[in-house]
Amino acid sequence: MKSHKYIFLTLLLCLFGLTLSPQLNAQSLQDFEKKVTKFTLDNGLTFIVIKRPVAPVVSMVTFADVGSANEPHGHTGIAHIFEHMAFKGTHQIGTKNWQKEKPVLKKEDATYHKWLGEKYSPDPDSTRMKKLWSQFKDLQKKEEQYVKNNEFSQIIERNGGTGLNASTGADQTMFFYSLPENKLELWFSLESDRFKNPVFREFYKEKSVIGEERRRRTESSPIGRLVEEFLAVAYTASPYQHPTIGWNSDITATTIQDTREFYNTYYVPNNLTMAIAGDVNVKEIKKMAKKYFGDIPAAPAPPPVYTKEPKQRGERDFTIQGQSQPILLMGYHTVPEGHPDFQTLQLLASVLSGGRTSILYKRMVDKEETALQVASFNGFPGTKLTPLFATLAVPNRGVSVDTLKATILDEIDKVKNGNITKEELDRARTNARANLIRRLDSNTGIARMLAQAEAQRGDWRTVFTDLQDLQNITVDDLQRVAKKYLTQDNLTVGSIVTKSNKEVANAK
Amino acid sequence: MLSNRQLKPIFSNKNLTITMKRLSLTFLLIFMVALVTKGQKRYDELTYPKLDNFQKPNVKTFTADNGIKFFLIEDHELPLINVNVNVRAGGVSVPNDKAGLASITGTVIRSGGTKSIPADSLNTLLENNAASMETSVGFSSGSANMNVLKKDFNQLLPVFVDLLTHPAFPKDKIELAKKHQKSAISRRNDQIDQIGHREFNRLIYGKNSAYGRNTEYETINNITREDIVKFHDKNFTGKNLMVGVVGDFDSSAMKKKLKQAFENISAGTKNNLDFPEVEKKNQPSINFINKSDVNQSLVLMGHLGGLRDNPDYAKIQVMNQVLSGGFSGRILQKIRTDLGLAYSPGGQYGMNSFYPGLFYVQVKTKSSTTSEVIDAVKDVITRLQNEPISQKELQDTKDQILNSAVFRYDSYNKVLRQQMSYDYRDLPKDAFQQYIQGVKSTTVKDVQQVAQKYLRPDDLQILVVGNKDEIGDQLQKYGDVNTIDISIPQPGDNNKKVVKGDAAKGKKLLAKMTNAIIDPDVTLNSLTVSGEITQMQMGQSRTISTTMTVNYPNAIEQTIQMGPQSVHLSYKNGKGTMKAGDQERPLPAQMAKSLKNTLNRSFVSIALNAGDLNPQYLGTEKDSGNTYEKLSVNIEGTDVTLLLDPKTYYPEITQYKQFVPSQGKQVTVENDYSDWETNGGVTYPHTQITLIDGNKSAEADYKSHKVNTDQ
Repeated sequence: MKSHKYIFLTLLLCLFGLTLSPQLNAQSLQDFEKKVTKFTLDNGLTFIVIKRPVAPVVSMVTFADVGSANEPHGHTGIAHIFEHMAFKGTHQIGTKNWQKEKPVLKKEDATYHKWLGEKYSPDPDSTRMKKLWSQFKDLQKKEEQYVKNNEFSQIIERNGGTGLNASTGADQTMFFYSLPENKLELWFSLESDRFKNPVFREFYKEKSVIGEERRRRTESSPIGRLVEEFLAVAYTASPYQHPTIGWNSDITATTIQDTREFYNTYYVPNNLTMAIAGDVNVKEIKKMAKKYFGDIPAAPAPPPVYTKEPKQRGERDFTIQGQSQPILLMGYHTVPEGHPDFQTLQLLASVLSGGRTSILYKRMVDKEETALQVASFNGFPGTKLTPLFATLAVPNRGVSVDTLKATILDEIDKVKNGNITKEELDRARTNARANLIRRLDSNTGIARMLAQAEAQRGDWRTVFTDLQDLQNITVDDLQRVAKKYLTQDNLTVGSIVTKSNKEVANAK
Repeated sequence: MLSNRQLKPIFSNKNLTITMKRLSLTFLLIFMVALVTKGQKRYDELTYPKLDNFQKPNVKTFTADNGIKFFLIEDHELPLINVNVNVRAGGVSVPNDKAGLASITGTVIRSGGTKSIPADSLNTLLENNAASMETSVGFSSGSANMNVLKKDFNQLLPVFVDLLTHPAFPKDKIELAKKHQKSAISRRNDQIDQIGHREFNRLIYGKNSAYGRNTEYETINNITREDIVKFHDKNFTGKNLMVGVVGDFDSSAMKKKLKQAFENISAGTKNNLDFPEVEKKNQPSINFINKSDVNQSLVLMGHLGGLRDNPDYAKIQVMNQVLSGGFSGRILQKIRTDLGLAYSPGGQYGMNSFYPGLFYVQVKTKSSTTSEVIDAVKDVITRLQNEPISQKELQDTKDQILNSAVFRYDSYNKVLRQQMSYDYRDLPKDAFQQYIQGVKSTTVKDVQQVAQKYLRPDDLQILVVGNKDEIGDQLQKYGDVNTIDISIPQPGDNNKKVVKGDAAKGKKLLAKMTNAIIDPDVTLNSLTVSGEITQMQMGQSRTISTTMTVNYPNAIEQTIQMGPQSVHLSYKNGKGTMKAGDQERPLPAQMAKSLKNTLNRSFVSIALNAGDLNPQYLGTEKDSGNTYEKLSVNIEGTDVTLLLDPKTYYPEITQYKQFVPSQGKQVTVENDYSDWETNGGVTYPHTQITLIDGNKSAEADYKSHKVNTDQ
C-alpha cells in the first residue's frame, strides 16, 4: 500500500508543457519535494515531516487509517469511543495510582459486562440487574478517587498547545494539535505514551458525554437526522450505512474490553501515519521518532473491509415530516478514491455547483430563484469504500423539495446529453489547482492533507499528482461518468418537509 | 531560524543500529526496546530549548491623499496576493425599521457587479482565473476581500476597485438578496443553537435595541434601492477605508499600483459609528422557549459583559480562562468530565471595543438533567467568587495564555489583520504586549476580586431552549418562568384595525347577498365545481383541468389534471394530503394554510356564516364604470371587502390582503366574478378572475357546479 509512485512524478514532469498554468503545479510539487521528508520506522510507523519555518510553531497530526467503517458488528461507534478515550491519559498521566486503579477498572468493566449479559438474557432477572448496577456504580465511584481529571489535555494546554482535538470519520481517525516549536519533544512523549498505554479511564462516564454529543449532532438537529436516515437508506450492506457516532444500543453495549480489542487490531504501527509541519529540524525528529515510537512492536496489518455494496435495484425515496424547514439530499453510489473515475466525478461536482458560474447555482439560485443553497460533492461519507456523489439543496420559502429535485435531475440529464463545455471543465480544473495552493498556507492543513494521502493513497505526492490527472479528463469523460453513475436506479433521495405551519411547536 | 540554536543533547542510536543488523531478530527486539525506552522522557522530565525568535514581518504603512490607510506585508511562500479592505460602516447605524440594510448592501455590492462589468461577466472573469472577491457589511465593520494568483493581480486590481466604488446595484440582485434574507428568516427557528443565541442576545441587550433587534420580513420590505445606494455612497469613501495587502509582491512596486488604483476614490467624511448605551439588568430571570422536536436542552446563563478598554482587561481574561478555557476550564471540567452531562460546554466573558460584550455560559444537556446543569453552573460561578483559586491553577492558567501567545501571530496574514484591527478599534499598537504583561502580573487575589466585581450570579439571566414535555417542571424553582414567543411576525401584523362602518346596514346587505346566492330553502353542504383554470406566472401560462368539491365548513377534495398527470388534494380542517399516482405525501403547511384562508374568505363561506359575522357597510364604490355596495367583513383578522351588485346582490368583486411567503410581503388579492348561473338552489359565477396586486394571475372557467352531490 505504501509503494512509491515515482512513475507518476516522471509522467508529471513530461506533461507539464501541456497544462493550463503549468508553473503552479511545477512550483508546488518541486517546492514541496524540498520541504518534505518521509521515513518509516522498522515497525512500520511512517512519518511525514514538512519544513515550513514561517513562525516558531509546529502542528502535529496522528492519522489512524481506521474509522467507523471498520467497526465490528454490534459495536458501531467504537472508533469514535476510542478517539474520546485517547484523551483520558495513560499509566502515568491522569492517575494518582495506576497500580491501584488498574484492578478497579478491570472489575468495573467485568461487572458492566455481567449486567449487559443479564439485560440481554432471554429472561432478565431484574433483581440481579439492579444488584450488578449498584456494584458497578460503586466501582465507578471507587475509580474516581484515583483519577486526575483531564491531566493529559491540561499538560498540553499549559505548554501552549492550541487546536487540541481529534476527529473520527467513516474511513479515518485523526488526533491533532499545535505547539510552540521548542516543545515538540513533549508531543513525542505524550503521543507515544498515549498510543502505547491507553487506559480507558472514566470509560462509562465518557459514554454519557458521547450520548450528549449524539443528541447534539443528530437527534436534536434537523440536518443531522436527515443525514443519519439518508445513509441508512442509501446503503444495503456497506458499513457506510451506520452513523460514525454509532447507534445508541451499540454504544450501550460496548465495553472497555471491546474497545481494547479494537485498539489492539487497528492501532498498530503500520496503520498509523504521523505528520509534523512547521518550524522543524528533520534530524532531531528522526531521532525522537526512533526514541519514542521505535519500541512499539510491529504487528500484522489490520483486516480490510470485505463487505461490498451490491448494485442498487431501484430509486429509494424517503421523507421526514419535521418541525423545520425543507431540505433535500440526493446521492448516487460511485467509486472509491484511486479509481480513475473518482477525479472525474469530483470535477463534475465542481462544474455542477462550485461557484457562481456553476450549472446548478446559476439556474437554481440565480435565475429561477428556487434555492437558497445547492452543493454537490463526491466522496460522502468516506472515500475508501463505495462513496456517494451527493447533492444537498435548500429551497427558498414557498418552494417545494420536489421542484428542486426535478431541476437537479433535469440538469443531470443535460450533462448526460453532453452539455458541459470545455470552458466549464477548464474552469473547474483551474479552481481545483488554486484551491490546493490556498490549502498550503497552514501547518495543520498541510499535515492533515499529506498524512491522509500517504496513509490512504500510499504516497503524499498524490495530493499533487491528482491535479495532473485532472488535465487528462475530457468533457466526454464527464458525460460518460454522469451516464454511468448518475442513473435513476442508483439514486437515493431524502427530504425534510414541514409537518406543521407553526414556526416552533406551541410557541406563544 | 533553527540555525543559531543550541540543540540539546538527545539520545542517538545511529551506531547501534548498524551493529544490531548482525544480531538475531529476537535479541535485537529486546535489546532495542531496552535501549530506546531509556531515552524516553516523561512530560515532567522534559526541558525545553529557547523558543526560536519569530522574525515578525515588517508592516509597511502609508496614507493616501484621500485618507485611505494602506498596510503591506510581503510573503513569498506561495504565488498568491490577498487584499483585505476594512470599511468603517456597520449595521449599528441602520434604523430598526430597516434592519438588514447593511447586510444586503454588503451582499449586493458583490452579487450585482459593476456598471462596466455586470454580475455574470464578473463571475466568469473571476472563476476563470481562480480568483475570489467578496464583500460584506457586519454590525460594527464592513469588509471586502480579493484573493488572486499573483499573475492575475494587475488585471484584477482595477476590477476590485471598480466593484468597491461603482457597484451597479441592479434591481434583480437586490430582490434576490432580499429573498435570501427572507428564506433565512423563515429558517431561523430550526436549530436550537440559533434560537438560543439570538434570543439570549435580545434578553440581555433588549429586543428593540440595535444589538438585539431582529431582521424581519417587514424590515426587509422597507429597504429600497435608494437606501442601499445611499448606504454605500456614504461609507465606501477614502476616510472610511483601510487596505491591507499580503502576498508575493515587491512593496515599492505595490505601493505605486495601490496609490494609482485607489486615487480616484473621494475622501468623504469619517463615519462616527454611534453605539447606543446598553441598559443593565439587575434582576435575575428564567426564560423558556419550547422546541418539541429535540431531546436536549440548550442552557444559556449570563449577563452583560465588559469593554475592551477596561483597565482590568487582563485580569478578567485570566478569570475567564479559569472559568471556561479549553479542557482546563472549570466549566468543562465540572459539567463534562466530572458529571458527564454535556459534550462541549463553554462560555466567555466578552469584552468588545465598541459596546459591552456578553458574559455567558452555554451547555447542552439531555432534557432530564436541565436543572442539574443550571445548578452546577451557578455553583462553579459562585465558587470562583467565594474561594481563591490555588497558586497552581493560577500558574497553569497563565502558562496556557503565555505559552500559546506565539500562535497569535503565526502567519503573515494574522499579523496584518491584527494591526488593521487594532488601528480600527483605536487600540495602541502594543495592546497585545500590554495584555501579556497584565497576565503575567495577575495574582490569586486579583482573580477573586475581578470575579466578585464582574460576575453577578444573583443577576443571571437564564434561557432554556428545549422540549417542554421532557423538561417538565424543572425550571419552576428558579422563579416565574417567562415563556418567549419566537413565532415569526408576518408583515401587516401590526395594523389589525377592524374597519368600521354602518353595522346595521351591513347586516342587511349581507343577508341579501346570502339569499341571492343560496336559496333560503336549500341547505348547502357541499358544492362541486369543474372546469379549467389558467394560471399566469412569470410571463408563462398553463392550463389545468380540475374538479373540486367543497364540503362546508372545512374540507376540500380536489383533482387536478396536468397533461397526463393527475394530482388529488384532500384537505380537512388545516391538514391534508397530496396524492399523485401511488405516492402520497402530506400537504405542505403553507399550502394547507393557503387553502384554509381561501376557503374561509370565499363569499360562499361568508354567506354560510353570515349570522356570526359583523359586516360593516362602507357606502357605494365605483369600479370600471359600475357602482357597487361596499361591505367589509373581518375573517380571522383579515378584512375582506365585498362589492355587491346593487340589483342582484351578487358579490361581483371581493378583495383582501394576504401575506405571500414566496414574496415575503403583503399583496392585494382581488377576485372578479361573472357568468352567474343557478343550479340546485345555488347561484355561482362560472368565470372567476384572480388579480394579485392588480396583475391577472389566474382565470377559472367552470363548466358546471353541483350542489350536495355527496348525499
